[in-house]
Amino acid sequence: MSNTSFAVPRHISRRGFLASSAAFGTAMALPPAAFAQQEGQLLLWLPGGSELFCKIHTGLLEGFSAGASLGPATTVCGLGQDTEFTQSLIGAITAGNPPDISMLWDSPVSLGAQGAFMPLDDMMKGSKIPLDTWPAGLLSSCQFKGVTYGLPITAGVYSMWYNQEMFEARGMASDRASFPKTWAEMRKMSKEFTVWEGDKLISAGFMPNRVPETMAIWSALNGGMMFDEANLKYQIDSEQNIEMMTFFLEWLDEEYKGDFNLVDRSGNFLDGYPNSTTGMGPAFREGRQAGMQSGSWLLGDIFADPVPSFERWNLAANPIGPSGSTSVSGTWPNWFVIPVGSKNPQAAFDYLSYLAIEGSVEWYQQIPDVPTNSQVQRKAPAGLVEKRGQEVADDITAFLGEQAAVVTPMWNSPVQSFYTDQIARAVEKIYTKASPVKDALSEAQAATQAELERVLAG
Amino acid sequence: MSKQRKATPRARLAMLTYHALMLAISAIFLLPFYWMTISAFKTNAEIFSDPVTWLPDPIRWENVTSLLTRDDFPFVQQFLNSVFYAGTVALLVCLSCSLAAYSFGCLRWRGRNLVFGLTICALLMPTIVTFLPVYLAWSKIGLTGSYWPLITPFLFGDAFFIFMLRQFFMGVPRELLDAARLDGASEFRIWWQIVMPQLRTPLIIVGLFATVYTWNEFFMPLIYLQDREAFPLSVGLFTFQSQRAVEWSVSMMGAFLTALPMIVLFLFTQRLFQRGLSSTGLK
Amino acid sequence: MPITAPIAPQAAPLLPRRNRKAQRAEARAGLFFALPWIIGMTIFVALPLIVTFYIAQTKFQIVGAPKWVGLQNYEALLRDPAFWKSAQNTLIFAAISVPLKLIIALGLALLLNRATALLGFYRTVFYLPFLMPAVAGSVVFMLLLTPNAGPVNIALEAMGLNPPDWLLDPKAALWTLILLSLWPLGVETLVFLGGLQNIPKDVSEAADLDSPKRWHKLVWITLPLITPMVLFNLVIGIIYSFQVFTQAIVIGGTTGTPAESTLMYMVVLYRAAFRYFNMGLAAAMATVLFVVVLILTLLIFKTARSWVHYEGGET
Repeated sequence: MSNTSFAVPRHISRRGFLASSAAFGTAMALPPAAFAQQEGQLLLWLPGGSELFCKIHTGLLEGFSAGASLGPATTVCGLGQDTEFTQSLIGAITAGNPPDISMLWDSPVSLGAQGAFMPLDDMMKGSKIPLDTWPAGLLSSCQFKGVTYGLPITAGVYSMWYNQEMFEARGMASDRASFPKTWAEMRKMSKEFTVWEGDKLISAGFMPNRVPETMAIWSALNGGMMFDEANLKYQIDSEQNIEMMTFFLEWLDEEYKGDFNLVDRSGNFLDGYPNSTTGMGPAFREGRQAGMQSGSWLLGDIFADPVPSFERWNLAANPIGPSGSTSVSGTWPNWFVIPVGSKNPQAAFDYLSYLAIEGSVEWYQQIPDVPTNSQVQRKAPAGLVEKRGQEVADDITAFLGEQAAVVTPMWNSPVQSFYTDQIARAVEKIYTKASPVKDALSEAQAATQAELERVLAG
Repeated sequence: MSKQRKATPRARLAMLTYHALMLAISAIFLLPFYWMTISAFKTNAEIFSDPVTWLPDPIRWENVTSLLTRDDFPFVQQFLNSVFYAGTVALLVCLSCSLAAYSFGCLRWRGRNLVFGLTICALLMPTIVTFLPVYLAWSKIGLTGSYWPLITPFLFGDAFFIFMLRQFFMGVPRELLDAARLDGASEFRIWWQIVMPQLRTPLIIVGLFATVYTWNEFFMPLIYLQDREAFPLSVGLFTFQSQRAVEWSVSMMGAFLTALPMIVLFLFTQRLFQRGLSSTGLK
Repeated sequence: MPITAPIAPQAAPLLPRRNRKAQRAEARAGLFFALPWIIGMTIFVALPLIVTFYIAQTKFQIVGAPKWVGLQNYEALLRDPAFWKSAQNTLIFAAISVPLKLIIALGLALLLNRATALLGFYRTVFYLPFLMPAVAGSVVFMLLLTPNAGPVNIALEAMGLNPPDWLLDPKAALWTLILLSLWPLGVETLVFLGGLQNIPKDVSEAADLDSPKRWHKLVWITLPLITPMVLFNLVIGIIYSFQVFTQAIVIGGTTGTPAESTLMYMVVLYRAAFRYFNMGLAAAMATVLFVVVLILTLLIFKTARSWVHYEGGET
């Protein structure tokens, strides 16, 4: 049957074929890279790419370029946000055609230590933003062996969020000062809120942490650390960390039937956002969860769909573990780097100075990523003022500012992603009881330390 | 034949059972596509409503316009990019692969079997094995961020399509070529003026396959392109979906509209797809 | 070799001179026409393959220059639990998904081959999953299979069944991934259907008269005639199932949640390269994959001589 048409020679319109080939050929001859960077014009790359986010940054960069009499600037958004963004950036750097400035949602240390980003220390000396204007714990997220590879211009600050109305309904004090100060207090209080109906979790108090990125905060709250940068030693299986995971595991067993799967089937108790795979609404906003740890970015999204079923919620400091002594905070910064190969490094650095002090104020107004430089005069986000009133908004802004000053170092490893994946694996093994706490942590420790030494060697 | 006609009631029953079975199987295969389509015409809340709704009510036509007018998902631009990408690859594949297929299928030369054997090896090789050096080389010459790395390889040919076309070229009668040679026609002329026009249908088949494969190609454009305005739809859809606050109905509408052109194409050309795949029995 | 082209008998030395000249011209033309592809294969396949073997023996962090480390990357691989876990997952995936896919595709093709009405409709429906964008496909499946609230589980519970947690349960997740891989089998089905339709009418009708038993006919007449298609589907299926990536990373992320049950070989390779910037290790993994696929396909081709039936009687 496949030979039937061969008998009748028919002509393809060869002229048409050639013509269309030629047309495509011309299209291919277009300039290879649409956004080649040029001298005197800034080119900025952003990960993620929600409409508002892009608009703010495009506006800030254009305003700055006009003021500094630079040529028209370009902002590129929507390249993805995780590995795919990093990958594009590496491609552009290897090609010698990187943007002048890039925002990162991953620590700049790994790639900085490989020589992908410009060290900023010399430019910072004598500038408007010298080293000592940055909170040390935060700046360490960009530093390795004393070299600064980027700036944490703004940061999502982690703290405890709680539903004041749920507290009051059970006759508990709902002011910030009365919030539990220790894990033990929090765990005890949590039980008051937790209601099971068979295997369905109707409402809950607080949950043991299972976010790999923030495990370093909980470790510090228990007086430990995950990575000892000074000595280049991971401490994943330290006594404090074993104690921490054991505490969490006992908590899970006692209050949540030892099974996060049951919790996840009952609703989204993980964070304040709709679950991206199941579409389940956040239990916190539904009024089914008394509190959780969250980054400050939720300030900008909490009033959006699904609207919280209650009006009054507040933020409080992270409680302290059994072996801990002081409360610390943690952040997920918006890092900015100047890739090696930038054609306008000085103008790029000037933009970072502008962004750190003036630009971040406007940014915080619209998307509540907290400005981190100590010289910034923060103004409460407009949306928050509108919904909660000036007083509450100012109070929250001041609180976040204090928290940003006491962050624990958590993004300072040259093998950050490897470490995060190892923690994720260990935590999952512990909570599913596939492996005892100590074994899981020791395994992660050995693998991560080996990877660190491999990367650092020669 | 007459025997069958006598058994009409039984045959009819068999026919009914057959179609009932086929429709049941079809339902299973249609389910994901159906769910994607109805989700595209619902609001976010309706997608996750409890109890499940199997028909969008009302049908949210405004999802179409809201998709087409967004700043953070330049659908029309990305659609055009996909057309350009798939179209160029299809054209190049038809040209370059037919050269090699003519050589393998119609001409006799020493080393032919060796080269064709290597072609099969190339076909069997996982892309990732050769990917890293190629990626680094494109980076070094500064062409990442453009369509060059995605299109240039097809200028030389593609193992799978060469293999597919060769099966058709082998069917061209040898006498036809010899007659042309006796008339003094050059091999190039024979290829271009005699063989190519005869193989019009196979060429269209290969072009169709190349179009569908390229339309859905995801990994390569994701890695090489660095600008939302330059993405084809397959990648644009992914980066849109991976944002923090997921807008389900919009991304489902995006997926629906991405798949639609290929489905229409398949509907009208399925006989050709069938013929292309009938030729692939490994010999 | 089963993959070589049939060669017409040649008797070059005995042919008259004019013919020999024509032969030389044809040989030149053959090389000339194949030249672009030979160049392309060299640039885009052969050279990169050599470079990959080189990178596999270096420490190379993507930025900066590669540094020779000999076999260290291979040693690191052997010690890496993620390598073994992902290899195990991928082998299970391939070993179950490929045969199942072939059997189902063959079943569908046999059914399609009987269709008189609605053939076009059924064919389109079976091909449809293949035309869906891979990312969207995985996302839709995640929606459908949501425990408790997803439509599939609601339907199954209504039927009085006790459905699994699909992608949430570490014991079920890999099987769910296998199940999902069975959807896009339009290509395999069409390949088989093509084979079935090419079976000469007299052969199948003769079989109808000889033995009324359908199974007998299927096993002894039909199957042998479409073994070339089985070979094609088998080889392509194995290659693609070893490279399963998009579904796995959309569903399990870079750590193969839950509990590494969806951690696939390509995901580990990809994360080594672009998340850990460990190009040397990634290249080592790529070479291992290459060697395994090569050995497997050679084995299949070798055994194929004994079970693949070619028209014209030669084996």
